[in-house]
Amino acid sequence: MAEESISNGFVMNPVSGSNPPVVAKKKRNLPGTPDPEAEVISLSPKTLMATNRFLCEICGKGFQRDQNLQLHRRGHNLPWKLKQRSSKEVRKRVYVCPEKTCVHHHPSRALGDLTGIKKHFYRKHGEKKWKCEKCSKRYAVQSDWKAHSKTCGTREYKCDCGTLFSRRDSFITHRAFCDALAEETARLNAASSMHSLAAAGNFNYQLMGNPLDTGNGMPQHFSTVFKPISSCNDDAIDQTRRGFSLWMGQASQGQDSIGKSTLTLQEIQQFGSLNPGSIYGDPMVSTSNPPALDYQLNWVFGNKVSSGNAEDHQLTTSTSLPLSNVKENGPQLVSVPSLFSTQHQSHQTPPFSMSATALLQKAAQIGATSTDTSFLGSFGTKCSNSQDGNKYTDLYVSNTPTTTTLGSDLENSANDISTLNQLQMYPAKRRRMQNEDGSGGGGETRDFLGVGVQALCHPSSINGWT
Amino acid sequence: MKVSSAKVSKESKVHGGHHKNSLHSKRRSHHSILPLQPSDQLDQWSSVTVDMYSNHHQPQTSHTSTSRSSDYSAGGGNNGEPSGTGNKWASRLLKECARAISDKDSSKIHHLLWMLNELASPYGDCDQKLASYFLQALFCKATESGQRCFKTLISVAEKSHSFDSARKLILKFQEVSPWTTFGHVAANGAILEALDGEPKLHIIDISNTLCTQWPTLLEALATRNDDTPHLKLTVVVTANIVSSVMKEISQRMEKFARLMGVPFEFNVISGLNHLGELTKEALGVLEDEAIAVNCIGALRRVAVEERAAVIQMFRSLGPKVVTVVEEEADFSSTRYEFVKCFEECLRFYTCYFEMLEECFTATSNEKLMLERECSRGIVRVLACDDDQDNEGECERRERGSQWSERLKEAFSPVGFSDDVADDVKALLKRYRSGWELAQPHQNETGLYLTWKEEAVVWVSAWKP
Repeated sequence: MAEESISNGFVMNPVSGSNPPVVAKKKRNLPGTPDPEAEVISLSPKTLMATNRFLCEICGKGFQRDQNLQLHRRGHNLPWKLKQRSSKEVRKRVYVCPEKTCVHHHPSRALGDLTGIKKHFYRKHGEKKWKCEKCSKRYAVQSDWKAHSKTCGTREYKCDCGTLFSRRDSFITHRAFCDALAEETARLNAASSMHSLAAAGNFNYQLMGNPLDTGNGMPQHFSTVFKPISSCNDDAIDQTRRGFSLWMGQASQGQDSIGKSTLTLQEIQQFGSLNPGSIYGDPMVSTSNPPALDYQLNWVFGNKVSSGNAEDHQLTTSTSLPLSNVKENGPQLVSVPSLFSTQHQSHQTPPFSMSATALLQKAAQIGATSTDTSFLGSFGTKCSNSQDGNKYTDLYVSNTPTTTTLGSDLENSANDISTLNQLQMYPAKRRRMQNEDGSGGGGETRDFLGVGVQALCHPSSINGWT
Repeated sequence: MKVSSAKVSKESKVHGGHHKNSLHSKRRSHHSILPLQPSDQLDQWSSVTVDMYSNHHQPQTSHTSTSRSSDYSAGGGNNGEPSGTGNKWASRLLKECARAISDKDSSKIHHLLWMLNELASPYGDCDQKLASYFLQALFCKATESGQRCFKTLISVAEKSHSFDSARKLILKFQEVSPWTTFGHVAANGAILEALDGEPKLHIIDISNTLCTQWPTLLEALATRNDDTPHLKLTVVVTANIVSSVMKEISQRMEKFARLMGVPFEFNVISGLNHLGELTKEALGVLEDEAIAVNCIGALRRVAVEERAAVIQMFRSLGPKVVTVVEEEADFSSTRYEFVKCFEECLRFYTCYFEMLEECFTATSNEKLMLERECSRGIVRVLACDDDQDNEGECERRERGSQWSERLKEAFSPVGFSDDVADDVKALLKRYRSGWELAQPHQNETGLYLTWKEEAVVWVSAWKP
């Protein structure tokens, strides 16, 4: 839809400022970002809940959907003239939610589909009458319930450690106690204690959108995060050192090691999306997808940890608010990156004199030029850039069998972190809406592995609102 | 008969006349009185003399000289005593022995203990296992060495427990049996409902399940609605848990809460002699917090006389909800009647062991460890005096109805909502058949988990 200036006197904020370039695939708009020229309809709850709104003018029969009514009308053998619908152009209609406290009550956030608004109303403001027997999840919309029942219990959850679970609750409990989780802590602790370590050994790059130099330890968290889980601790510590040395490089130490870097900017770009593991060229990476994702999550939380103890309530609360907005798919990854992005913006170009880090910075800036308002656009362009996208398909797909959108979407996702973060910032707000009138039931696919992955791929799936 | 010679780890010959001979010979050799050496392993029981009341040596009475096989066969019993319920040899022998101890019939005690020792094995079938663990308690009772044995068992347990082994054990148990998860799901449901809408939650957790209850609660808090409250979890450690284990647990909980995006604080309180000593200040209860007290298998560890005081202490914390989960058995009202207490104890643990047998695989290590964990409780209840100061190790269970009587002094019951009941039912569906949710009788509160139609675990919720 072209996003042009407001017309028709309806109060609407321009959803996206600039005109996105034309793409071959017709994109669905974000939910609740209607065409400015559309006619806004406000229905009462009673009307919304009424079925059979569409009446045949000939026999008076009521239908739930306009399509059904049209089908029915054909059966009346109308003469040609009357067969046509009224010649006046039917203006595109959008609907607002009658519930005053709802986001969609405002015309600027109206939904484009009658069925959509009905479902939204039930889901958000209706009584949840339908209940899954297996897991006792409740739904207000029958179709959501049906869709859930089909997949309930068939889903398997896989922990980072490789164990498979058919039950969500035992998966959750296991995960909380799993060593895979604990290794994070151990590594983070190890990293923070190695502040003065000089670089050693091979040097791995991490594709950091903006190598942050917060000084108090955030870098080391990033560095540790992007390591794939290694089963032996030495390896882990080794990589910690290596990883850390990247940041030490900034501070003018270990310059020699940085010099060892063999990546050019081109290669960095080619590496594509947020796939830190792959940068290591480590064969382990392709099998350790979950760790990468898990690290993703922890990376984000690394921020919290670094700013002085997990007990930093301020930081905690500040991140918890956006987090709490995100109902489905685990809050973490989506909104905490906003924290990162904030810092991204607040930390202007750090003084990198090293060629390697300069490369990384440049890579970040390339991504940084596409701000959120035009992310769709940049998205389009980035899509074509991704050359190695295929490589990553199975990295993510294998992990979450039911999220079928992953593979193809992910490979098209942004090529560097900063863009991705901005993408993620955007959906932080959008997510609720998406889940409300997006896929049925929204939240049932939420799980920990799925968290990271889905959050990652959602920016890309904005294109085709799956 | 269930005993097969391969399984019996003792050196004997199990059947018939051969036994009689050895029996005779042993008796003769034991005629000289040797002092009791309680430190000897039960394995060497047959070589240890127990001369408890006097050196009376009774001639073989008819019941012992009849062939052994009659003792084992179904419905056997020329011992002149009515046989216990069922045709399981362990149950009968054990009960007979208990009666003998109560009657102070020393030769009979001697004989039965010896027989049990021959047949018992912690690695055998259910009967053999029960025989083994209960034999230990009976022996201690007979020799008045319960306290010492108990302390030994505790120190052995502490040495062998690590975080990894404890975690593995409990997670595996929860995977194959809803014994603990039943209470967790119901309690979490009650807590979530009672504290709904509160911005600051403070849960005081006194449990024996190593915080495995909380991940699902954290997940629920994170995903349930838009505003995730702040959760403070204060865990009161009961004796057996080693501090290194708690440290690991606290790290994992904190980390997991971060992952879930729930603002979280975790505190551990240990070194308490007695739950009644807890105070608001000690627990760090703040004015603006909504409190929930969660007790899983905790109240039974409080000395019987102190239970009322502890409940009052809970009341003084001003909680919005108190959740209590206990196993359904009564070792409390019968604590002065050894035989009745014994029978109840045997009933409960028979059910438990049979449940373990069915839920785990035959060679499961976890099952073995869980069974071993029972030995302390059994010895404590049957062979230790309550007067002795045992620091929160009482283990005298009470039934739900009894706990309700106590709790009603300070609280009023809260029913579980239909949603929670549905959650529990859905939980039970995920396990093998045999488990059911049962509603209490009229005028009673809480929910029961039943295994093969026998109530085994009780959960309840209370408010001031």
